[in-house]
Amino acid sequence: MTRYIVHRAIQNFFLLWLGTLIAFTIYQMAPGGPIQFLDDDPTATAADINRLTRSYGLDRSISVQYFTWLTGEDWTPNNPTWRSGRCISNPNKCGRGIIRLDFGRSFFFKGESVIDVIVERMPATFTLAFASLIISVLGGVPLGIYAALNRGRLPDHIVRVSTVLVNTVPHWWLGLLLLIVLGGFLGLVPLSGMQTIGDGSLLDRLHHLILPATVGAIGGWIGFSRILRFEMLEVLNQDYVRTARAKGLAERTVVWRHVLRNAIMPFVTGLSGIFLLALSGSVLFETVFSWPGMGRLFITSVNARDFPVMMALFVIGGFLGILGLLMVDILYGFIDPRVKYDTAK
Amino acid sequence: MKKIIYLKRLPLITALLILAMALITACGAAATQEPAPAVQEEPEAEPTEEQAQPAEEEAAEEAAEAEEAAEAEEVAEAEEVAEAEEVAEAEEATEEATVEEEATEEAAVDDQEIITEVVEESEAAQTVARGGTTVVSDEDVSTPRSRYGGEYRDVDTSDAVSFHRYQTIDSGSSAYQGMVWSGGLLRLDENTLDYIPHMAESYSISEDNLTFTFYLRQNMKWSDGEPITAWDFKWTYDQFSNPENEYPRLSQIDFVTSYEALDDYTIEIKIDEIYAPALAQVSAMVTPYPKHIWENLDWGDPETNPEINSPSVVSGPYKLAEWKRDQFAIFEANENWWYKGRPNIDRWTIEIVPDQDIAYQKMKSGESDTGPITPENLEEARRLENITVYEWWPAASIWHYVGLNMREGFPTHDINVRHGLSYAIDKQLLTDEVMLGQAKRICSIYPETSWAYNPDVPCYEYDPDQAIEAFAKAGYTFQDGQMLDENGEQLTLKLLYGPNTSQTLELIAVSVQDYLADVGIAVEVQALEWASFLEATSTDDPDWDMYLGGWRSTIDPHIMFTIWSEESIPDLNSVAYVNKDVEAIFEEAGRTYDTDFRREKYQEIQSIIAEEAPYIFLFYRKSRSGQNNRIMGIEPTALGIGWNQEDWYIEKEKTD
Repeated sequence: MTRYIVHRAIQNFFLLWLGTLIAFTIYQMAPGGPIQFLDDDPTATAADINRLTRSYGLDRSISVQYFTWLTGEDWTPNNPTWRSGRCISNPNKCGRGIIRLDFGRSFFFKGESVIDVIVERMPATFTLAFASLIISVLGGVPLGIYAALNRGRLPDHIVRVSTVLVNTVPHWWLGLLLLIVLGGFLGLVPLSGMQTIGDGSLLDRLHHLILPATVGAIGGWIGFSRILRFEMLEVLNQDYVRTARAKGLAERTVVWRHVLRNAIMPFVTGLSGIFLLALSGSVLFETVFSWPGMGRLFITSVNARDFPVMMALFVIGGFLGILGLLMVDILYGFIDPRVKYDTAK
Repeated sequence: MKKIIYLKRLPLITALLILAMALITACGAAATQEPAPAVQEEPEAEPTEEQAQPAEEEAAEEAAEAEEAAEAEEVAEAEEVAEAEEVAEAEEATEEATVEEEATEEAAVDDQEIITEVVEESEAAQTVARGGTTVVSDEDVSTPRSRYGGEYRDVDTSDAVSFHRYQTIDSGSSAYQGMVWSGGLLRLDENTLDYIPHMAESYSISEDNLTFTFYLRQNMKWSDGEPITAWDFKWTYDQFSNPENEYPRLSQIDFVTSYEALDDYTIEIKIDEIYAPALAQVSAMVTPYPKHIWENLDWGDPETNPEINSPSVVSGPYKLAEWKRDQFAIFEANENWWYKGRPNIDRWTIEIVPDQDIAYQKMKSGESDTGPITPENLEEARRLENITVYEWWPAASIWHYVGLNMREGFPTHDINVRHGLSYAIDKQLLTDEVMLGQAKRICSIYPETSWAYNPDVPCYEYDPDQAIEAFAKAGYTFQDGQMLDENGEQLTLKLLYGPNTSQTLELIAVSVQDYLADVGIAVEVQALEWASFLEATSTDDPDWDMYLGGWRSTIDPHIMFTIWSEESIPDLNSVAYVNKDVEAIFEEAGRTYDTDFRREKYQEIQSIIAEEAPYIFLFYRKSRSGQNNRIMGIEPTALGIGWNQEDWYIEKEKTD
């Protein structure tokens, strides 16, 4: 088990590194840069642009920029090829590199530490993602069970058709629509934000949370009901279920003790997958609902070409993804003793 | 066993996830919202230059007449060009041009329509102060306001980045900074657009016009009760003028040779040579920071200097009470504000909303007191019972154009092609249809609201026949509805616009495409996300023939110089316009304070540029703002409505 985890960790670490390399390259290839926005400002001349480019270290080659992002610039030769202008004029401002857990400083937020910028927005994102997850489990699981038990009958069709229908429209668009109808016309939910200015009580926060979380849950809701229906049907056809029934066990006991327990396995994987999905979906939902989380930060930093923040979000997202999947693996071991990790025969 | 195989795929799935994220990131750019405009203009948006008193007949004159014959404007020309000094027209380094639109636009709304015509007024912007004169304020700044109370709920689509004026250039930050920092030794008079004393009680200009001395008001206090002195100004200047401190507009102070505090209340600024907008620029460049608080902190590092993101001691009308990033900011009245005491409204909140539509909905439902008004929802807004729409023609308006690539190798390099394109588009109809009456035509580089405006330039009224004739001169033949070049190929042009989220720009692009189709020209339209658009239009190696652009005009016409100088290719001068004569005339106009002479020069420039048609000039826009009826005391002028924000008050009976 331990060996397996170590093995996987190393493998994933390598993947993450590869990911950063690719992401960094792609970001750098995108047109524009952090100081592109001075281009149409008649009060900032070419001299200003050059000075800032030097100060931010954006005049260095991309490979040097990546290398210093990864390993820091404080130990590199003290010259403009290796160090940013900031670092040369004030050694305290030298980056220490991601390998020493220094995510650097934001360009857009004028020198704020990237990690502070992100941590400030984490609670909002996690609140929304968890709320969505809970709603999708509460909605999706019963639906899946219900559909499986009524397989081929009307309720099953209704569930299937309606989930397909809901899936044909982008969920963020649905969210926008609901926002305009429920918030704009009917005034039932607030139009934006996480709390009313000057309020912020639990009730107020729940009121702001309900619509974004519900819309965010649609994906999981559909996903869960499908997975569960499929797995339930598979298990229902197993011999031991027939045996259980033949034994004369109550249908309820059969379903709960024998079918559901076995059908739930893949569901656990799905769960973490959905959570990751909720995190990445946050980019859209947070934008639509003006939710002050990491997703919106991501949009802001992409628009502003704020490389340090983009990269940090990427690394954190990737890390959480890997961690989530690893946890699932381990959970399997507990839920289903048949699963063995050691590859030794 | 099956499960294990499944598990083994997990790393692959992880890798795919990571890749997908990277791709989403890359594409994300395309799908995202319009960024805040790159440049903001301060005077309009900022509450720092509020002011209610029409101090138009400046004390300037009294002082001046005794000394020289000089008080009024015309005198200057007769005398020495060099010593005449013009107070009025100067404008502000920071209030520059902007290529943007909706985002900058103040919203607007309402049932009773309040429109301010400023065309005549800007004519007045030319009071001349002369070298050797002293100007003293006659404004009463000590009588307090009297309508205290209430809360104003503002909305904005972009949050501030920081309260550090010398690090930011975005409009969101500028709005926040205006709440807490008082800047400006002088300010623009809201009626005459003259520069009048503000934080300085008086100022004088030396005989040679190169030394400016400002005498500060002695009653000004920081919010902690400490006096605001010349040393605060001097200290602030020393900080941002240090190249290591990353002030983005450092080049704007190149002409300043020294900035000194002579005593607690006297500031002396020297410049290297006569420069027309000098007075405006030297008086506006320092927004003092409290030296007694900031002195021991790092000027630019928010990690060690908490004052940058949560200033505890301020000079503006409001103090920051709470700021939650991407959510809201709450400001509370500063009891120690120097300008007529505390503002009327107790609490000022700014909520961040995702887009203009939501902002409008919030205003409509009464959740906020203000909201943006697009030409499309203007009619509805005027009918809203709880909302008043204020409208005005701003002194610094945004104008739009189609830039034509003048580089060799592009069809638009040929002046006849540029003329043909100008004739082929019905610019009047386009303006009416797209802007729904919320804009007027512009024919050269200054709108009608500028004092340098030249009404007598070629305007290329819509005339398809003349267009075809012009193309014929360039060697094209119009045949079977197609404009063919010498090789018999149809003329095809590429038009760029950005940001791709702008509906207004999309409408313009499609109209241009339609009009040019009528004369047989194929137009390929490409919409880009903002940063990509900036890069595409600021490259030495462009792949486009035309792009849609916009500038915010400036009160002093001279600031436009950079856009037309060869040095600014390809950044500001994206079309690569090169005319050394124009540059020489600009130089000449900038080296004097003689307004009449300058006007003549700028008019000459307008004629030359209109004739050469580097742009197809489209229109300049009216500004609008919607305000809840409970907000009283709003008086739109050419400076907009923000200039007297501290005098606004809340009608108690109507409070909901």
